[in-house]
Amino acid sequence: MKRSTVLTVISVAAIVPMVLLAISINENKAEQKAINAVPQIKKLESRSSEWGKYYQRQYDSYRQTRKSDKIDDMLQVNPALVVMWAGYGFSKDYNAPRGHFYMLEDNINTLRTGGPVDAMTGPMPTACWTCKSTDVPRLIDKIGELDYFTGKWARHGSEIANPVGCGDCHDNETMKLTITRDFLKRGLDAEGSLKAAEATHQDMRSLVCAQCHSEYYFKKTEWTDKNGAKQTAGVVTFPWDNGFSAEAMEQYYDDRNFVDWTHKVSKTPMLKAQHPGYEIYKTGAHGLNNVACADCHMPYVREGGVKYSSHNVGSPLDHMANTCLNCHSEEEKAFKDRVARKLARKTELTKTAMDVIAKAHLEAGKAWELGATEAEMKDILQDIRHAQWRWDYSIASHGSFFHAPEETLRILGSAINKGQEARVKLRAVLAKYDAGDYEAPDFSTKEKAQAVIGLPYQKLVDEKMTFLNGLRQEWIEQQRQKGLYDTQAWEGMKFNTSYAPEELAKK
Amino acid sequence: METKGMMKYAAVLSVLGAVGMFAYVGYASNMFSYLSEDPKVCINCHTMNTEYATWQHSSHRERATCVECHLPRESLADKIFAKSRDGFKHSFAMTFRTYEGDNIRISESAKKRIQANCINCHREIVSQITANSKLYQTAGESGQIDRKCWSCHREVPHGTTRSLTTTPDNLGVKEI
Repeated sequence: MKRSTVLTVISVAAIVPMVLLAISINENKAEQKAINAVPQIKKLESRSSEWGKYYQRQYDSYRQTRKSDKIDDMLQVNPALVVMWAGYGFSKDYNAPRGHFYMLEDNINTLRTGGPVDAMTGPMPTACWTCKSTDVPRLIDKIGELDYFTGKWARHGSEIANPVGCGDCHDNETMKLTITRDFLKRGLDAEGSLKAAEATHQDMRSLVCAQCHSEYYFKKTEWTDKNGAKQTAGVVTFPWDNGFSAEAMEQYYDDRNFVDWTHKVSKTPMLKAQHPGYEIYKTGAHGLNNVACADCHMPYVREGGVKYSSHNVGSPLDHMANTCLNCHSEEEKAFKDRVARKLARKTELTKTAMDVIAKAHLEAGKAWELGATEAEMKDILQDIRHAQWRWDYSIASHGSFFHAPEETLRILGSAINKGQEARVKLRAVLAKYDAGDYEAPDFSTKEKAQAVIGLPYQKLVDEKMTFLNGLRQEWIEQQRQKGLYDTQAWEGMKFNTSYAPEELAKK
Repeated sequence: METKGMMKYAAVLSVLGAVGMFAYVGYASNMFSYLSEDPKVCINCHTMNTEYATWQHSSHRERATCVECHLPRESLADKIFAKSRDGFKHSFAMTFRTYEGDNIRISESAKKRIQANCINCHREIVSQITANSKLYQTAGESGQIDRKCWSCHREVPHGTTRSLTTTPDNLGVKEI
């Protein structure tokens, strides 16, 4: 009896503090849950101002991207681009990118998206909205991915109402970073070095950016809609099966005989590199050291007594104390000078490459004109295709000269080499047709270059203005009726393009 | 006889209850996670949210975890002893709410450990500093003056703004 009593007393004596401890632990856990709780926001809410109600600092800093508002007409700066992209949208209009705030506005205003008059017209497919708007994941969720990727750009005009924002990277239930574009998951899984399902928080701080800052093409995909009709979707696809490098993707496209467009002058089956920012960054010093995009482009900033990640995505050089100097201990000026030297080196080689490749196109055009045969031109065109692809891959992501200078210069070197190889072969062909001393026409300004390739510039501008003052205004009205239009997303937007002065537009 | 049987019954029940309660407390407190060195263990409690977040945004993230700076690295016995003592103090403070406000401060003994770890990793850079500082001290002193590395390098690695309320929307922490 004695032993039982002792045991009971000891046990109860142990149970009582343990119960109190358990209560205390659960209270603390409840407090932690309250601290980590997130507000109720609708799934795939596309209006960023709705998220901004609860995350005011992040939202305000996101809206600061409006300060990056300068239109830099790249065709004006590098007229060779017009020749290189002859027959392709980019020869019509191409500006350096502006802040996230302008993303959708610029997509709608560019001459590349043309002047559709209804849902069935215009030069571009629906896929061109894909990286421009928070309404894209919402719409894909609503109608399905294949349906979304089917038809002309103008088809979704009344649904795509908001520029890229909160819902593109954040899960509404947890606020965790999330991938809202499934093609990134498919690309990562095909490449294999980092499976989408295994991504850590630190990986996600780059992957949310990689959803859009990557190379892609529109893969033709057959499907049957619910009425049993055959449809063809152009699904955004990352060509990562063989790897991230310029050569690996080149192989990928060659294996599939993929052609973005046929060059108007040289008849080359061309590739257009989009902006392989993520892929190139992975090969550079920062990428190799697991420094995420957000570490430099969305640094921790202090505002009064509060710290948060700035959502004013832009150049880290604008506030180096919070970015570079977090890890490096050097003078700001020394850093800026070094970055400027990197840029100058890239500019030197890219100018050379553009000149070589543009001339190759024009010389090839002359060879065709003089009656060169398919057999004579085959190897030459392949060289031009590869030269331009490599040049484009190396510079299209803008930041590549900094993210991975060695890789960028290496690819540019190989682009120049391929281009010159084509020109050596072209000289032989031209000589055969008694034009050994042929010189390509002058393309030293945007206007001259557009005349060389026969681009009806004014017609394109007129069509665009008709669209902007017509169909676009109808879209906005429909968006308002559907409750998609976020007034705050468009507040203070000024009409600013490379082709028309402000007074031309009614808005 | 009956009371004796009852008591036996009660004894078995209460022992089972105690064992069960112990298991539950172990589960609720993530007891076994404390054997690991994963920085996320430190945000089992919300008190460390800001410390975790600021470290996660610092350059030390890639090189040093929480315990690599905050626990002694010279001997395993020292490390386990320090970890147990700190663990006890932290649990006590959490349970009885003996810490004040949201802005926690480091203890004197932890300061010494961290200073030793700073020097341990950065010894090539600081060797001359430590050698020189001896010249300014009376004989028999340790060789280090009172100031710590972070008396000057105040932002390393947690920054100067580091109370619980300063990083309200931290995603790295909310991952848990």
